[in-house]
Amino acid sequence: MALTENPSVDIRQQLLDAIAHFEHVLPGQAPIKDFVHHNTLHGYQHLNFADALKASHELTGAYGYEPAERYREYFKKARITLEDLSTILDEAESLKPDESICEKFKQKDVYLAALLNPLKSITGCQFTWHIEELNELNQFQQSVSQTSREKLLSAAKHHGEESESEAINALWFACLKSLNLEHYLLHPEELMDLDPEAAESMLRDVTPDESSESSDVSMLHRQVVKESKNLLGQLIRKVGDDITLRGFLNTITGKDILDDIRPVLQQHLANYLDQGMSAWHPSERNQGFYMVWRSSALDDLAWVFDEMPEWQDSINSLPDDAMDTILLMLKQLGIPETHWAHYLQRLALEIPGWSGLFLWRHLHPDYEGDKQPVEMLDYLAVRLVLERLFAQRLCREQWQIEANLDVLRWYFRRRHSEFFVRYVMFNNHLPEYLFTLAQRQIERSLLDHEHYYPWKQLADMIMAWRNSPMSDQPKGYSVFHHAWPLFHLTQHLGLCADDVESLNAEQIKQMFGCLSALNNETSGFIWLQAYERNYRDALFNAVVANENRGRWKHSESKSELSTPDASTQNLTRPEAQVTFCMDDREESFRRHLEEHNPAIETLGAAGFFGVPINWKGLDDTETTPLCPVVVDPVHTLCEVPNDNQQPKFHKHKHRRNLRFSLKNLIQQETRRSLLAPLLITLIAPFSFLSLLGKTFSFRRMNGLGEKLRNHFDIPVQTHVELNTSEPKPDATPSDNQFGYTDEEQADKVQGFLRTVGLNKPLAPLVVMMGHGSYSVNNPHLAAYDCGACSGRHGGPNARIFAAIANRPEIRIILGERGVNIPEDTWFMGAEHNTADENISWYDQDQIPENTKSAFQKLRAEIDFVTQKSAHERCRRLASAPKKPSLKKALNHIIGRSYDISQARPELGHATNAAAFIGRRSISQGAFFDRRVFLISYDPTQDDEEGHVIEAILLAAGPVGAGINLEYYFSTVNNEQYGSGSKVTHNVSGLFAVMDGTSSDLRTGLPKQMIEIHEAMRLQVLVEAKIEVLGKIYQRQPALQELVGKGWLLLSAKDPDSEQIHVFKPDKGFVPWDGQQSDIPLVDNSTDWYDGKHLPLSPALIKQPPNTSPADYSNNDLKGEFNNA
Amino acid sequence: MHSFFSSVWLIPLVPLLAAGWIALGYILKFNRGESGEAQTSQTALTASSISLLLLLILDGFALMYGAPGQIKYASWLASGSYQVFISFTLDTLGLVMSTLMAFISLLTIKFSVNYLHREAGFQRFFMTLCIFNTSMILITLAGNAVLMLVGWKLAAVSSYLLIAYAPGRPTATANANQAFITNRIGDGGFILAISLSFIWLGGVEWPDILLHEKDLSSLHIGLIAVGFLLAAMVKSAVFPFSAWVTKALEGPTPSSAVFYGALMIHAGIYLILRLEPLFMMDGVLLPVLVFLGLITIAYGFFSGLVQTDVKSALIFSVISHVGVMLTLCGLGLFNWAAVYLVLHAVWRAYQFLHAPSYMHLMSRPTRPASQLIQKWRWLYTASLQRFWLDKLSSWMLVNPVQKLAREARSFDEKVVNKVVGLPGQASALSSLDQLESENTVGKGRGVAGTLMEWVATKLGWFEEHLVLHGGDKGMSNVIQHLGVYVLKIETLLSQPRYLVLLIVTTFVVIL
Repeated sequence: MALTENPSVDIRQQLLDAIAHFEHVLPGQAPIKDFVHHNTLHGYQHLNFADALKASHELTGAYGYEPAERYREYFKKARITLEDLSTILDEAESLKPDESICEKFKQKDVYLAALLNPLKSITGCQFTWHIEELNELNQFQQSVSQTSREKLLSAAKHHGEESESEAINALWFACLKSLNLEHYLLHPEELMDLDPEAAESMLRDVTPDESSESSDVSMLHRQVVKESKNLLGQLIRKVGDDITLRGFLNTITGKDILDDIRPVLQQHLANYLDQGMSAWHPSERNQGFYMVWRSSALDDLAWVFDEMPEWQDSINSLPDDAMDTILLMLKQLGIPETHWAHYLQRLALEIPGWSGLFLWRHLHPDYEGDKQPVEMLDYLAVRLVLERLFAQRLCREQWQIEANLDVLRWYFRRRHSEFFVRYVMFNNHLPEYLFTLAQRQIERSLLDHEHYYPWKQLADMIMAWRNSPMSDQPKGYSVFHHAWPLFHLTQHLGLCADDVESLNAEQIKQMFGCLSALNNETSGFIWLQAYERNYRDALFNAVVANENRGRWKHSESKSELSTPDASTQNLTRPEAQVTFCMDDREESFRRHLEEHNPAIETLGAAGFFGVPINWKGLDDTETTPLCPVVVDPVHTLCEVPNDNQQPKFHKHKHRRNLRFSLKNLIQQETRRSLLAPLLITLIAPFSFLSLLGKTFSFRRMNGLGEKLRNHFDIPVQTHVELNTSEPKPDATPSDNQFGYTDEEQADKVQGFLRTVGLNKPLAPLVVMMGHGSYSVNNPHLAAYDCGACSGRHGGPNARIFAAIANRPEIRIILGERGVNIPEDTWFMGAEHNTADENISWYDQDQIPENTKSAFQKLRAEIDFVTQKSAHERCRRLASAPKKPSLKKALNHIIGRSYDISQARPELGHATNAAAFIGRRSISQGAFFDRRVFLISYDPTQDDEEGHVIEAILLAAGPVGAGINLEYYFSTVNNEQYGSGSKVTHNVSGLFAVMDGTSSDLRTGLPKQMIEIHEAMRLQVLVEAKIEVLGKIYQRQPALQELVGKGWLLLSAKDPDSEQIHVFKPDKGFVPWDGQQSDIPLVDNSTDWYDGKHLPLSPALIKQPPNTSPADYSNNDLKGEFNNA
Repeated sequence: MHSFFSSVWLIPLVPLLAAGWIALGYILKFNRGESGEAQTSQTALTASSISLLLLLILDGFALMYGAPGQIKYASWLASGSYQVFISFTLDTLGLVMSTLMAFISLLTIKFSVNYLHREAGFQRFFMTLCIFNTSMILITLAGNAVLMLVGWKLAAVSSYLLIAYAPGRPTATANANQAFITNRIGDGGFILAISLSFIWLGGVEWPDILLHEKDLSSLHIGLIAVGFLLAAMVKSAVFPFSAWVTKALEGPTPSSAVFYGALMIHAGIYLILRLEPLFMMDGVLLPVLVFLGLITIAYGFFSGLVQTDVKSALIFSVISHVGVMLTLCGLGLFNWAAVYLVLHAVWRAYQFLHAPSYMHLMSRPTRPASQLIQKWRWLYTASLQRFWLDKLSSWMLVNPVQKLAREARSFDEKVVNKVVGLPGQASALSSLDQLESENTVGKGRGVAGTLMEWVATKLGWFEEHLVLHGGDKGMSNVIQHLGVYVLKIETLLSQPRYLVLLIVTTFVVIL
C-alpha cells in the first residue's frame, strides 16, 4: 500500500540514523551464553562519567549512584571521612565551596550539612508528627553533631536563651520569620476535611481582588481551565521525547497498554530470536520478523477476546515494508514528524531488555551462523502496530475516539475539567476523599459519557483543595518545603535564632541555592569520589609502605640478562614462575603461593597469554574465540588426538555421542516428545536417586558422576596442532589460518615475555595458569569465566603458549633474536577453576625426566594453596563455616559449585576495586583482599616511548573497566541496571533471563553476584614514569576516553621511588597528597583475615628472612621489616 | 500396631505446627532476617522429616500387616443427621501418594535453604512450604471429602502466596489472582459434590461415597462424579482450565517445582484415582475422561512445541502428561495412572529443580517439529497464543469477577447506602454539614441556574430528611428510587456475561 503523502526520503534516513543511535541507549548485553562484562553505560562513554550518569538517569529514569543513605552509612563506619568529603568538595569548583554566605560560614558548610543529613521537605502529616510526637521544636534533631549543638547553645546564651528548648524554639520562629512565613499546625483531620469557613477564607486568599465581588466559583473554574490547558500542552509536548502515546494514555487513564502488548509481542519475539528451546519456528523466518509476525497475527484470534474488531482489517492493510509501516503508524497516531526519531527511541526504551537483545542481534548479523535477518526496523514496526491497535481499544473504551494525538488534543480542549481531574488523579497525591471521588467519577464515566457536570464539579473541588495550605503546593517559600529544611540546616550549622535573623534575604536565597545545587546527581558524585578517595588512600598508603619490601624487583640491565652467568642466576633465579590471569580472584592465590614457598615468583597477564585464537577442542563441533572481545582472531587452533590414540579416539567419539544422545533424550525428549511417558517411566527411578544424592550429598554425588563420566568417555591423550601446513599471510577473521608458522610462534612468545617483564632469567618451571569457572544451576555461568577470553575458559591459551615455548625450534629462533630461554626451563599449561579451586594440568606426559621432580613439588605446593585460597574465600561467604579448617574450607568451596541449590557458587569479581600494572615487587608482601587486578609489567624492560605499557593499557584497560563498571552499575541500582534476584529468574530462549514467564529481559548482574561489592571506579596504578604515561595519553584516544572522562582512575608510581602521582583529567598528573599512616604488620595473610567477614584494609605481611629483598635490590630498608 | 496407626493425625499436623511456629517467630521477631534463616529452615526441615519418617514407619507396618484402611477419630462437625469425622484413609493408594508428597516436599525444602538464602521473603517462603506440605498430606490421606477439601484449600492458599512471592511485581500478583479465582470454580464443584453426597448418600467418608449400597441412579452418581471431576480438572489444569498454571510460574524456582511440576498438579488426578469406583460405576464418564485427556495432551503438546522459556516449556509438558494420566483413567487403567503419577512427579521435580541450568544441560537445539505439523500455520499461531486459553479464562472469569466487584460497589453506593441512609462519600465531602457546603461549590448562574439550584437544594433537603427519618412519604420515595435501580440491575443482567457470572457467584457464595 502506498502512503497517501510520500514523505521525503530524508525522514527515512533520519529514522535509520536514529536507529543507529540506539546502540548508545539500549543495554548492549550479548546473549547470556556469551556473556562478557562490559560497561553498562557503554553508549555514554564519550561523556564524562558524571554527565553520562545524569544523561542516562534523565533518559531511562535509572539513578546511577548509591542512595545517599547508604553513603551516610559508610560515613558512620568511617569508610568515608569528613576529610575525604571536604577535599572532594574543595575540588568541585563549580559549586564554589569557598564562597562565603556570611562571616560565620561558607557555602561549603552548607554543602557538608546537606550531604551528611537529609534536609528534606516534609508533608503536612509528617510535620505534625515531628512536632507533636517527636517534640522537634524544642530539642535538637537527633543527627546534629555535638560540636554544632555546643556552638548553637553558646551562641544562643549570648542572646539570653538559656535552655536547649528555648534556643531551638526561637530558632524555628526565626527561620519562619526570615522566610516571611507563619506557622500553622494542622491536624490530619483538618487535612482531610475542608470545612466551609476554611475553604472560603482560603479561596479569598487565592483570589484576593475579585472574591468579594464576583463569584469565586467561576474564578476557581477559570483557574482549572488555565491549569488544565497548561498541563495538556506540557503533556502533549512530551510525547515523542519523554513518553509515547502509551505514556500519554497511562498518565490520564492509569491503564498501561504495554501490559497488554507485552505478552502478545514477547511470544513472537522470543520464538523468532530463539536459540534452540522452541521446536517450531515459522518457516518464514528468513523474511524477517515483521513478515513473520504479520502472517501469524492474521491467524490470531486475540481480537475476539480483546474486543478489537479492527484487528484483521488493520493488519491486512499494512504495507509489506517495515519502514512504510512505521511511517504509516506514526502518521496515524498523529505524532508530529519532527518527533518521529525520538518517538522510536522512546518506544525501544519502553522494553529495554527485549529491544536491547534485538538490537544486539541486529548488530551481529552472523551470530551463531544464523541466517535469519534481525532488523531493528521490523521490531519497531511491530511495536508500533501493536501500540496503535491497543491504544485504539483504550481510547474507544474510554472516550469513543481515535487513538491519535491530534484527536486527543481536540477532545480534551473541550473537556478541560475531565483532563484536569484525570491528570491530577494519576499523577499527584490527592487526599483520600478527593481520590475516591475522582476514582468513582472515572469509573462512572465509562458507562455514562454524557454527564459532564460531575467532572466540572470535581475539578473545582480539587482546585480548591490545591489552593489550600494542606496541599503542599509551594508558591515562593513555604513552611514544609523551606522553613523546615532551613530549621534543620541552621541546627547543623550551629546558628542560633539571632544569627538566622541577621541573615538578609539574599543570603537566605544563597543558602537555598546551595541546597538545590546539591541535587541527587551532584551529591551522588561527591559521595562517590569521597568513597573512592578513602579506599585509594589506604591502598596507596600500603604501596608506599611496601616500597622495597616486595621480592622480584629485578633491576639488572638487559644486557646482563640475555647471558645470565651462573652466579647471578643462582641469586635471582626463582624455583618456578607461575603466570596467572590478571583477575582479582587470583590475588589471594598468588599471595598464598608466595607465602607458602617464597622461592616461587608469580606474575599476572591478560588471561589469553598473548595468543588470540579461535579454538576447537577435541570434542567441539565449532570454534570459539579465546581472546578479548575487541580482537577478531585470524588463527584457528585445534586439539587433536596423539598419533597412537586414533583407535581410542574413535571409541571416545562414539561413546561421547552416545552419552550426549542419551542426555538429550532424557533432558529434551521428556518434555518434547509424545513418547515421553515411556522415557519418564524408565528414568524416573534413577532421577529419584540422583535427586536425593544431589540434595543431600552433592559433593560426593558429583565426584562419582565425574568419575563415571570420564571412565565411560575413555580419556584420549591429545596435543594441540600448533604448526600450520599452509600459511595464509593475509588470513582474515572469516578465513582463518590453521595453526601458526614458526615465526609467528616465536613472535608470540617473545612479545608475551616482554609484556610481563620476563625478559630475565627464567625459572626451571614456568607455568601458564589460565582460568575458568564451573558451577551447576547457574545461567550466568559465563560471567564468572575469563573476561580476557570473551567469557570462556582460558586453559587452552595457557596450554598453547606452553607448548609453543617448549619447542626447540622456537627457542632457537628466540635465541637468534636475543631472547635466551635456559635449556632446563620447561613451560607448563594449566587451568585454575575459580569456583572449586581445582587445577587441571595439561600435557603432563610431555614433561622431561629432569623436570619431573620439580613439577611434583610445585604441584603439591599449588594443591596446598588451593586450600588456603578456599579458606580465604570462605570468610566473605555468609553461609560458609566460620573459622573452618583448611580441609573443611576446601570441601565447602567445592561443594558450593556442585550444589544445584546454590545461587552463589562463587562471588566472582565482587571484590574488585583496583588494578596494579607493574612489577610484582609493588604488591608482593602486602595483603590486598582479592581486590586488585595484578598485571605484570617491568618498566625497566620497556622502551623509552613506553610501547609495552601502551599495549597493556589498551588491552587491559577496557577489560578491567568493563568488569568494574558492570559491577558498579549493577550494585548501585540493581533493579534497573542489574537483573534483580536470581531466585525468580527463568531462562528465555537460551539468550537471557526474565523474571517469571513474561517480564522484560533482565540484563546486568543478579543481586546474588553483587551483594558484597563496594561500588567504586577502578583505581589503576601504573608503575611508570609520568612523562611516558603522559605521552601515551596524548596519542591514544581510547585512553583519553576511559581515563580522561573518568571511567577509570589512573595513578602512576615512580619505578625508582615511592612517589605516586594521581591523574586529574583537567590538571594532568599531580602528586598524591594522601597522608602516611601506620599500617599493620602481620605474620601471614591468614592471621590478618581469619575470623573477619567484612572488607579488610591492606596490611603488610612479614617477609621470610632467607629470601630477604636485600638479595635483589637496594638496602635502605626499615629495620622492623628486616627482623622478620 | 493399631495404636501406631492411630497417630496418623500427627503427620499433617507437624508441618502445620512448624508453619505456625515460623509465623509466630516472625511476628515476635525472633527469626527475622538473615540470622533467623538457620532457625527457620531447621524448623521446616525437622517438621517435614518427622512427618516423612512417621509415614515411612506407617508404610512399614502396612507392608507387614496390611493397610488398615479407614481410621476414624471423633466427630468434627455435626448437624442433624449429617456428620463429618476426622478420618484418614490408609490404603495403598493413600500411603504411597502421601509418602511421595512428603518426600518431594522435604527435598524441596532442603533445596530452598541455599536457594533462598538472603532473600527478604525467606521466612514467609518456608512457612508457605510447610503449609503446602500439610495440605498435600491432608489431600492424600484424608478419609473423607471434607477433610480433603481443607487440604485442597490450604494448597490453593499457599500457592497463591508463592505465586505472589514478589508482591512488588504487578504481573506476579495479577497471575496469583487469576490462579486463585480459577481455583474457586474447582472448589465450587468440590462443594457441590460434597453436598450431593450428604443428601443422597448420607455421608462424605470415602467408603460412604465409594462403597455405598444405596440404589442410586447413574444420573445421581454422575452428578456427584461431575462435581469432583470439575474440582480435579481445575487443580490438575486439565483443558480448558490450563491457563492458570501456565501463568503461575512467577515464584522462586523451588516453588514452581513442587507446585506445578511435581505435586499440586497431580492432586486432581489423585482425586480421580481415589474415586475410581465411582467412575467405574458410572460408565458414561469414562469416555469423557478419555476425551478430556486427549485434548489436554494435544493442548500441552502443541503449545509446548513453541515455548521458548524453560519454565513454560516444562509446564506445558507437565500438562500434556497430566492428560496422559487422565486418559489412562478413562481407559479404566487406574493403577497404571497411579504408577505413572509417581514416576512423573519424581522426574518433574528433578527437572524443575534443574531449570536454571537447563541451558547447560542441553547439548543441541531441540528437535524441530515434524514437517507435517509445520504445514499448519494457523496451528503455529494458535500454539503460540496457547489456544487463547489465558485470554478466554480472563475474558470469561477473571474480568467479570472484577467487574462484578466494581459494580457491587456501585450498587452499594447507589442503592444500599441510600436505603440505609448513609450519606456516602460519592456525593459530597466527608461530613454532613459539608454536604450543604457542596452547594456553594456547585453554584448555578442566571435565572435557570438559580432556579435549578433552589430545586436541587430543596430536593436534597427533602431526600435527606425523609430517607433518614422514614415516614410514609419517605418510604414511597425509597420505593421509587429502588424501582430505578432495579431497572438498572436488570439491564445489566440482560448482558450474557452477567448471567455466567451469576452462576459463578453462586459457587463463590457457597463457599
